[in-house]
This record gives sequence, structure tokens and C-alpha cells, in this order.
Amino acid sequence: VSGPTAAAVGRFRLQGRTVRRYDIALGLWIAILAVVTIYGAATTQGFLTVSNMKAILTAAAFVGIIAVGLTVMVLSGNLFSLALGQTAAVSAMVFLSALRWGLLAAILLTLLLGLVIGAVQGFPVGAWGANPIIITIGAAGLMEGMAVWLSNGQSIVPPASETSWQHLAQPVLGLPAPVYVFLVLTVVLAVVMDRTRFGRQIYLLGENRAAARAAALPITLLTVGAFGIASLYTAASGILIGASSANASLLLTGSYTYDAIAAALVGGNAVTGGRGSIARTAAGAVFIAAISDMLLLRGYSTGGQILVRGVIVLVVVVLTNLRERSR
Amino acid sequence: MSTASETTRRRPRAGELAPFAILAAMVIAMALVPVFTDHKVRTANVYDVFQNFASYGLVALALGITMIAGEFDLSVSSVYLLGGMVAVLTGGSSPLLGILAALGAAIVVGVVQGGLIAGFRLNSMPVSLGGYLVVLGVTYILSNSKTVIYNDYNVGLRLDQPIAQVFSIRSLVSLGIFVVAAIVLRYVRVGRDIRAIGGDRRAARVAGVRVDRLLVGVFVVSALGAALPGALLSYSLATASPTNIGVDVLTFAATAALIGGVRLSGGKGGPFGIAAGVLSLSVLQEILAILNSPDYVSSLITGGLLVVVTIVWAPELMQWFQTTRPASMAADRSAA
Repeated sequence: VSGPTAAAVGRFRLQGRTVRRYDIALGLWIAILAVVTIYGAATTQGFLTVSNMKAILTAAAFVGIIAVGLTVMVLSGNLFSLALGQTAAVSAMVFLSALRWGLLAAILLTLLLGLVIGAVQGFPVGAWGANPIIITIGAAGLMEGMAVWLSNGQSIVPPASETSWQHLAQPVLGLPAPVYVFLVLTVVLAVVMDRTRFGRQIYLLGENRAAARAAALPITLLTVGAFGIASLYTAASGILIGASSANASLLLTGSYTYDAIAAALVGGNAVTGGRGSIARTAAGAVFIAAISDMLLLRGYSTGGQILVRGVIVLVVVVLTNLRERSR
Repeated sequence: MSTASETTRRRPRAGELAPFAILAAMVIAMALVPVFTDHKVRTANVYDVFQNFASYGLVALALGITMIAGEFDLSVSSVYLLGGMVAVLTGGSSPLLGILAALGAAIVVGVVQGGLIAGFRLNSMPVSLGGYLVVLGVTYILSNSKTVIYNDYNVGLRLDQPIAQVFSIRSLVSLGIFVVAAIVLRYVRVGRDIRAIGGDRRAARVAGVRVDRLLVGVFVVSALGAALPGALLSYSLATASPTNIGVDVLTFAATAALIGGVRLSGGKGGPFGIAAGVLSLSVLQEILAILNSPDYVSSLITGGLLVVVTIVWAPELMQWFQTTRPASMAADRSAA
């Protein structure tokens, strides 16, 4: 632990008295989660099997890559994006149709597009203080419209001649390739956020925008960067999702937006920015994937699954806020 | 009374007239459709505009009121679906009972969300995102993930029966509620208080405004404004579904409220502006329908408009131009 996290922990200890209420609440929450998870794991048929663990890790990889990218946006104080699912679906569509120019070109083109989509949304937020949530809602509508327009409402299939993309979905040393990508991308981003000036400035911007302005930080550039990384990572996930489904349309949008937000929040990152870490989100993504998997195995309906995610978001938002107030 | 006459006497600023100018431009555009294309504009098209107003207007009003109070309610799109589902499921014997049940469910949603936001001083975006998911989940569970049919088709027919050719019970109810909301927000103390907590919450609290109670009220109103048109639309379609039919309610409502002069920073805007925003968007969608343009065009235009109005109302936009322009001019001067 180093950098801002260490500072946060230090302050946490210093104000031991004031954090008591939060500690009790957090302890209770962890206890409840642990009991529910252990009970669920023990009583759900087929949960504690090797093949199911692989399934959980694969699901966690798709959501997790999006969620760790989103974390940069959350840390920068720009709440979250409501265009993640659409960005992932559009990226999958672009990737599969660009395969006609070869695998490497398709990957690079999709990542570049993802970066640009995010940067374009980040600019009005950083430069002019436009509301990030509303901008991303609008962007989601624009992407949906454009995707239907450019694809004529058809789903995209990869060209028959090119098959190299299939490696992206195949197992390597027993685990599916996306799991390794998730791991690498998480470590890279964690290092960037912990060890670079960009990372420290993102934390400062999220903690106090006015102070960041006073310190002459490049707020526009940082915000563009935060949105760009969120969108770039979402595009990376979109590539893997597209390769795994071998078929892409807006239907892939699915619940990625809400799952990624839930993962970032359940990891305990402060909703309003400044506090948290990439590792927390990665853990949150595995947790959300495990819970979703458990609910699915226990035969919960779509409604039950959505409901549980909503309750988790609400509880976590209240808890992290209690912590912020006790600081 | 003195405040009331002051408000009425004050001359409106150019910015406050913008929504009505946009509406006028849209109406002119619709009138020009037969001039420039082969498509005709009929009375039925005007009826459609008001029907669209009936389906989504109150959501924009509800969302607009939360925005005036400096908050935001992401849950309106699922509360809209919940309202329709509850009305169809409970209104079998009496449609009025179904509507009351839908409104009751909305009050519960509003009290819980508003209570969390006011009680813990939480940011309303993440709370209402959680609320959106919970309400959507409940709607799925209530419907068993299926589309539910409402057996009494006559209720819908009566609600949509044309009145004076262009109105219906559904659209007149919405228009009536808009008028009541405008009167309340302008002439009743609670209206001024809502603007106050949106404009400067700390000052409002110091001045004795009961901020917490008002916030809960605002979120109850928001949920009611989403559930009522949802319930009426379900009767009109004689079905309710846990998934969105047609336009995304939240995107439409947010765009309409922002076009109507409401700002995300709070304190500004009012029901008449929001009504003008809703009508502008409704006329625009009707023009697209007359021209037989595909669905994605509407999605592109609404999304694009939402981005544009959000940027236009961005708090630091003016500041950015003021600080950037002199710098570039100075650079020009030094270059010369």
C-alpha cells in the first residue's frame, strides 16, 4: 500500500474515535456478506466446482475490465458512466467487422475508437463542468442510434476467412484468455494510479476540484484522460465479449453498465471520488460475478438478480458515505 | 402576496423565453413539412403530439422538479414501468383502484429514496441508480418477467377518445397537472422553498427551510409523476411489460426538462418551460413519424440534443470562454 491509500489509512487510524460508527456498520456488512456467501456457496448445488469457478472468473473478467477502467472516472470525482454497456456492444461490433483487415488492426482500431468515444464525452465535463451522468446518457443514445444506422439493425459476424480471433476466447493453461487479460490490465492500471503523477492528480481532482483548480492541475486533460481510460478498458472488454460470442449486436449491452458500477461501488470506492483503489474494484467485480452466478444456479429470475444488485448498490452507497462523514 | 406580485411583474429574461422560442420553431417546422415534402400534416398528428405529451410529459415535470431542487432521479424510468405493472395487476375490477395502487407504490419508492438522500445527505445519483435497479427488479418479479395483458380494452379506448379532435382524457389530465404545478411552484411557499434548496441549500437551511422534509416530498412527487403516466399508458395499451417500450423515458424526460430551461445545478426553471420542452420534443418526434424516418434517427436526435443542452447549461461554459479568449487574443497580440 502506498501513495494516497497509505495517507488515507493513516488518517483513518488517527481519528479512531470518530470512525467507530462506520467501523460497526462496515463490520456488520462484511459479516452479513460473508455469512450469505458461505451459506450460499455451501448450499448451492454446483457452486463449489472447478468448472463453476472458471465460469465465475470469466464473467468477472468481462465486467471487471470495464469496472477497473470505470474506477479512474469514479476516483476523479465524475461519478460513473451510463454508456458502458453500449460502448462494450459497439466495440464488439466494430471489432468483429474490422477483422477483415486482420486481428491486430481490428484490436488497435477498436481500442482507438474506445479511447476517442470516452475522450469526447470527457471534454465537456472537464472543460465546462457539464454533468457526467447526463452526458453519458446522451452518448449512450447516440451510440445506439449510430450502431443501428451503420449495421442496418443486423448483428455482426466475423469474416469466415479470419479465425485468429478465436484464441481470444480459448483457455490458456486451464483458464480462459479473458481472465489473464483482466489480471494484466488491472495490474497495469493499479500501477498507473499508484505510481504516476497522472494517478495522484486524479485522486486530488476527485477529492477536491476547487483545490485541484487552485493548484493549477490540468483539469480538462485529467477528466478527458479519466473518461478515455474508462472507455478504452470498456472497448478492451468489448473485444473479448465479441470474440467469445462470435456475433455482436446491441443485445450485448446487457447489464454491463450496472454490473460495472456495482463492482466499483461494492469494492468500497467513495462514490464522490478521491478515495478508493483499482484493486478494490477488481475484488468487487469477482464478488458481483460470484453473486450473479450463485443467483443463477439457485434459479433466481431476472428480476431477483436485478433486485439483489440494486440492494447491494444502495447499502454500499450508504456505508461508504458514513465512512466519508466520519473522516 | 407581495412576493407573488413581484414575480409576476418581473420581466422575463431572454434565457427564460428560449424554451418557447424552440417550441415555436418546432411548430413552424411541422407546418412547413407539407410545403417541402409530399407528406401531409393532419389534425391526427396534432392529437399524436398531445398523446405523446400525455405519455411522457409528467415524467419530465417530475424529473424537472427534482432538478430545480438540485437533485436528480435516475429511477423514473423503472418507476414508470412499475406504475404500469401495478395498475394492470390490481386494476382488474376497477381501473381507478389500479391507479391508486400504482400511486401508493410510487409513494413508497419516493419516501425510501428521499429518506435515504435526506437522512444520510447522500448524492441522489447513486441512490436513485440503486433505486432504479430495485424497482426494475420488483417490476420483473411482479410480472414474472412477462408482458401482462389488461382485459378491459374499453378503459384504454375511453382514456384515448379524442376530445375537441386533438385532446383526450389522458392528455387533459397531464395538461391539468402541469397548470396546478405551475401555480403551486409560483404562488405557494413550497415552490419558493424548492427553488431555494436547489439554488443554495445551506442558505435555505439557515433561513429555516425544512430541507429534509422537502427533499422527501420532492422524491415522492418525482415517483408519482413517473408512475401516473406509466399507469395510464398501460391502460391505453392494455398491456404492461417490465421492459421499455419505445423511447427511453429517462432520456426523453431529461432532454425535455433541460430544453425547458431547467438546470442540473438547480434553482432555475418551471413547469411552463418544461411543458414547452416536452411539446418541442413531441412535435419533433411527430415530424420524424410523418416523414417515416427510421427509429434510430429519433434515438440519434434525442441523444444528440441531450448532449447539446447539457453542454449549453454547463456551469463553467461561460467562464471557459471568458478565460480562454483573452489568453488566445493575448497570444495573437504577442505574435503580431
